[in-house]
Amino acid sequence: MQLDVPDRDYMYSGHVGCPGCGAAIAMKFVLRALGDKTMMVLPACCWSIIAGPYPQSTLQIPVIHSAFETGGAVASGVRAALDAKGDKETCVVTWAGDGGTFDIGFQALSGAVERNEDFIYVCYDNEAYMNTGIQRSSSTPYGAWTTTTPGQDWKKMRKKNIVEVLVAHRIPYAATASIAYPEDLTRKVAKARSIKGSRFLHIFASCPTGWRIPSETAVKIARMAVQTNIFPLYEVENGSKYTINFMPKGYLVKEYFRLQGRFKHLTERDLDQIQAMVEEDWQLLLRKAGVRLQG
Amino acid sequence: MAEDVTMKTTPLFISQSYLTTESNKTGSWRFLRPRYAEKTAPCSAACPAGEDIGRVEMLTAQGLFKEGWETILQENPFPAVCGRVCFHPCERVCNRGEFDEAIAIHNLERFLADTASRYELKPELEVLASKKQKIAVVGAGPSGLAAAHFLTRLGYKCEVYEAASEPGGVLRWGIPSYRLPVKVLRNEIELIKSVGFSIECGRRLSKNFLREAGERYDAVFLGCGYAKIPQMKIPGEDLPVVADGLSFLESISRGENLQVKGLVAIIGGGNTAIDVARSVLRVGGKPVLIYRRRREDMPAFDDEIAMALEEGVDLRELRTVTRIERSGSEYLLTLQQVEVAYLGADGRACVEPVPHKTETLRVEKVFKAIGLQALQDWYNPPDEDTGSLRLANSVLIHANGGPAVVYGGDLTNDVKSVVHAVASGKEAAIALDVFFKEGLEAIPVRMSQCVVGMGPSLSMEIYVKGPRCQRSSHIVLYEEINADYFQLSPRIVEPRLLREERIQSFAEIDLKISANLAIKEAERCFNCGLCNQCDNCRLFCPDLAVKKDSESHGRHIDYDYCKGCGICVVECPRNAMALQEEN
Amino acid sequence: MDDVDPTPTRVYPCPSVSEIEGAMKKVLEGSHGVAEAVRLAKVKVISAYPITPQTHIVERLSDFCADGSLPARFLRVESEHSALAALIGAASAGVRTFTATSSQGLALMHELLHWASGARLPIVMAEVNRALAPGWNIWTDQTDSLAQRDTGWMQLYCETGQEVLDTTLQAFWLAEAVNLPVMVILDAFFLSHTYEPVDIPAQEDADRFLPAYQPRFMLDTANPCAFGQLAPPNIYMEMRYSIQQAMDMVLNRFGEMEEQFVDVFGRCYGAVEPVQCEDAEIILVTSGTITSTCRQLLQELRAKGERAGLLKVKLFRPFPTEAIRQSLGKAQKVAVVDRNCSFGAGGIFAQEIRAALCNLSDGPQVYSYVAGLGGRDVTTDLLDEIYRQTKKQDCCPVESIWMGLREVSYAT
Repeated sequence: MQLDVPDRDYMYSGHVGCPGCGAAIAMKFVLRALGDKTMMVLPACCWSIIAGPYPQSTLQIPVIHSAFETGGAVASGVRAALDAKGDKETCVVTWAGDGGTFDIGFQALSGAVERNEDFIYVCYDNEAYMNTGIQRSSSTPYGAWTTTTPGQDWKKMRKKNIVEVLVAHRIPYAATASIAYPEDLTRKVAKARSIKGSRFLHIFASCPTGWRIPSETAVKIARMAVQTNIFPLYEVENGSKYTINFMPKGYLVKEYFRLQGRFKHLTERDLDQIQAMVEEDWQLLLRKAGVRLQG
Repeated sequence: MAEDVTMKTTPLFISQSYLTTESNKTGSWRFLRPRYAEKTAPCSAACPAGEDIGRVEMLTAQGLFKEGWETILQENPFPAVCGRVCFHPCERVCNRGEFDEAIAIHNLERFLADTASRYELKPELEVLASKKQKIAVVGAGPSGLAAAHFLTRLGYKCEVYEAASEPGGVLRWGIPSYRLPVKVLRNEIELIKSVGFSIECGRRLSKNFLREAGERYDAVFLGCGYAKIPQMKIPGEDLPVVADGLSFLESISRGENLQVKGLVAIIGGGNTAIDVARSVLRVGGKPVLIYRRRREDMPAFDDEIAMALEEGVDLRELRTVTRIERSGSEYLLTLQQVEVAYLGADGRACVEPVPHKTETLRVEKVFKAIGLQALQDWYNPPDEDTGSLRLANSVLIHANGGPAVVYGGDLTNDVKSVVHAVASGKEAAIALDVFFKEGLEAIPVRMSQCVVGMGPSLSMEIYVKGPRCQRSSHIVLYEEINADYFQLSPRIVEPRLLREERIQSFAEIDLKISANLAIKEAERCFNCGLCNQCDNCRLFCPDLAVKKDSESHGRHIDYDYCKGCGICVVECPRNAMALQEEN
Repeated sequence: MDDVDPTPTRVYPCPSVSEIEGAMKKVLEGSHGVAEAVRLAKVKVISAYPITPQTHIVERLSDFCADGSLPARFLRVESEHSALAALIGAASAGVRTFTATSSQGLALMHELLHWASGARLPIVMAEVNRALAPGWNIWTDQTDSLAQRDTGWMQLYCETGQEVLDTTLQAFWLAEAVNLPVMVILDAFFLSHTYEPVDIPAQEDADRFLPAYQPRFMLDTANPCAFGQLAPPNIYMEMRYSIQQAMDMVLNRFGEMEEQFVDVFGRCYGAVEPVQCEDAEIILVTSGTITSTCRQLLQELRAKGERAGLLKVKLFRPFPTEAIRQSLGKAQKVAVVDRNCSFGAGGIFAQEIRAALCNLSDGPQVYSYVAGLGGRDVTTDLLDEIYRQTKKQDCCPVESIWMGLREVSYAT
């Protein structure tokens, strides 16, 4: 009856996340699975603000706020210092948004994982630069409105596949997760925590404010993203072993797009085209996972 | 470097936290407010006895069998019986049925009752303080026993009169033991009595009783039921070969060793006819069921008909018997074929004879099982007139100066079923309680305040202002269930005796299920509109504004921090929460 | 606030080796001198990205880490920005840290230079002064480090191989005393790649001067808190003022540091080093390796009877205003030689010296000369020319005078 998720929270109420903030839910779940022997590197993102202004902190673990691009690099340094002190217990986690991961933080991330630094990099993805006012990032999906892709100039580039980039680095563990699937998410975090080397988690975190959806549907929309194959749940070990964790019902993407204000300008033809793109990506993933295709 | 005082005073003021964000009461942001708001499950509204089925299944899933059993007993004192013979209208409206298959509520009810019996559990039922009124209950069938039981729980003194040697009515004499073993019934009746009333058996009352009842009693409940088959008015009806189906069943119930050989015709289409036919099988005969309309028009329960056919009962639809005559050592029945002329307002076929289409049937014995009548006229409620209150399952009469008289059971119900009988007994008890406290005019209002959902089923728990009255009467629809939280899983299949084993004796056909299976089945229940403490609300709250506590829900919303995002309400799989405007 | 005694108790050159037990005298590149000091300081995390002419520093450190003489973690990061980011992380976790860079790399780090000082992390960096592109120029020029003078880092300019080793050790002392990061600055090639005889201190002596690092704050799961979060207008200024106060404290404690250094090693340098300034009419002001050349010129000028003086500026941040005033206040003229330029203004040392002297009622004229950019050699002849021009002029030009410019034909 109860979802099987660790029960102790490491966060306080009173933070200033928007009502229904998917990023807050993501942090909550990840911390439950990591426990308090954790240090967090927090480059510029929504969570820089949610974490609380001076003199407050909403998290019950040590946090170092850092410059936008530096998620991977600061974590490397923290890890090196802990190793130099002989601390084998503490886990170093970078908590970055999509901007600080896909774009400006990409170099530091790539550098850190190429060195197989021993840390977990968590990217919570709300698919735009939300903290600065909903501007487009390379994580913004094809078809979306943002404040820098407004009107008919909606984003006509596909979302960057960050997990595949990390997989190409052959890191020990890379996985996607969603706030709508807490058991899967916490299992993956716990699994990541037990592995040495660079581990990457890409968490789908809905944003009611930026996606123009009612706040109460934040989790539901995240679930639909998985069920429509837009955001598949899978893990990749050592750059080659793919495991798809969930075979969804394969709902039509229209269902997902119709519910969000940021997609309301799309025509039927646009949606059909997107459906084809999603299926193409899904088939590619299935092939990588060695899943036999029907028909 | 040396310990330096100046070093300590070197100001080092950096952005470093020393407080939590808890001083920030984000609850002030809210313009919508979530709250826990339990609602009504469709099964509980469809149950004529208003059983709190969603909660029963929830307790069963948690392994709290005694509590589940007691929850049933709150509303229906006959779980062991109903778990065997009820036609379970609850299952038809079960929301799970729209997802995969309805919950096996019927089987689970039986499981709980049998478990209680196996462990000889005694229920803890509340009995209210004694009241001065005394009520006579005529007939210890399901409606009378239910009435006496509920009235006693409400604090009244009841005296029950039963004409037969044992209580039970149709349960004892009309339903064969392969459906309802006698031991089970006797057990159940003992528990029903244990709230504090006794039954005087072997007392057949006369009409005078009703006339003089006012001297000793403040009210009378009449639940005398059916005991007679009417005349068919066809030639040959009075031949010795033609017997009363009800009497046949009664004889078997008494343990008389009856033997019937050869082809036996049973005329009728109700549950009695079916029971007779299946009993005939078991005592060696070959039953032929003759019904004048179509199978789907038969008033008997579908399950029963299906099982009868499975067991080998031969069904002749669209046939009427026009004549019975002797032919040597056998008897000849003349059957007239009929066809559907049109469908009546109630959807049942209206038939007319097909000209020149008759057939004959040679039989050893004929059982009449058509229609049912009260044994005595005065058992029946009088026709509608002023001074009588027609309730959903009963009729209440209060003539000036006399005692209140309530008629219930089969004699006042359109659907002749055990659970409707129970419903009428409960209705009578509540109606009388209101009548004594506030008078006749208050009854409809008070009844409407303790209905389940939109009614007409009543809940005793709601009537006595138990926790159930906090729930809203909104009946949860399937669309309001968040089906994402449930996996397809098949319904349990209740084990049964093999067909060949069944007809060898009157042993109970349906076998028991294990606790393991019962729990698994109960876990399939959505618990529509009820909080089963799945913790989704607390799990998903982005503001950690749902806090655990030791209250009934196990948690509460901390409105100091709740921003009113509403995720908890949407992610509640069973619509046990509501989102309303912040005032 | 006490004045810093501008007169050092010991004057360059360095004392004899035999006075110091266990020390080793070797002929070392300037870069390697830095590496030795880092080893002696028992740094725990090094993070660096290669750029000419810093490479010899980090290569030597890699050797030390690989052969175990320095048990530190060496992060071979993918850019200078990440190098400093990694050290910010490591220093926040409470260990001694070091990096080295130059020119483009320092410029790339700019954002994080501000971050390191704002976070009050005692990071030490060796900065090899090199010209900024375009056009690519790997030779010495001070504009790169001076362009970072606002970032809240201490800046110490070194002249010799010994000084650069010593200053690197001293940098950790200073950084950890006030919780501010320090740049130890050396000229490309003229110092970084020039071999000189250098005293390498013994480990025990280094430990006596520089004990183990004890962080005043750090990331700690036993005492969790957040660092570097949002600081609104109501509080940011106080945090910034704290940095200024720390810089002021450096001026206070510089002398204390040098006393301790002298006690252990017998050497000291001073925040500034005045040479024959007491009776000088014209004082040349230099920094870095130009100083060595100027010492030569000074001898020649004095031999001819000129009343010349030389002021070497070592400490640039915090700017030693009092020492400058004391050293230069009585001269008639000051000629500042800047191997840098702030375009639209002029030589940077000159600007700061002018500012330091501007409220003196009877201060000297300050002449500003820009020379040696992009590694162009600053010879004694050039310095002589500067002296001559300064002496000849009555009216001191506001703008900086660029020395030794050639005629070029412009293509576009």
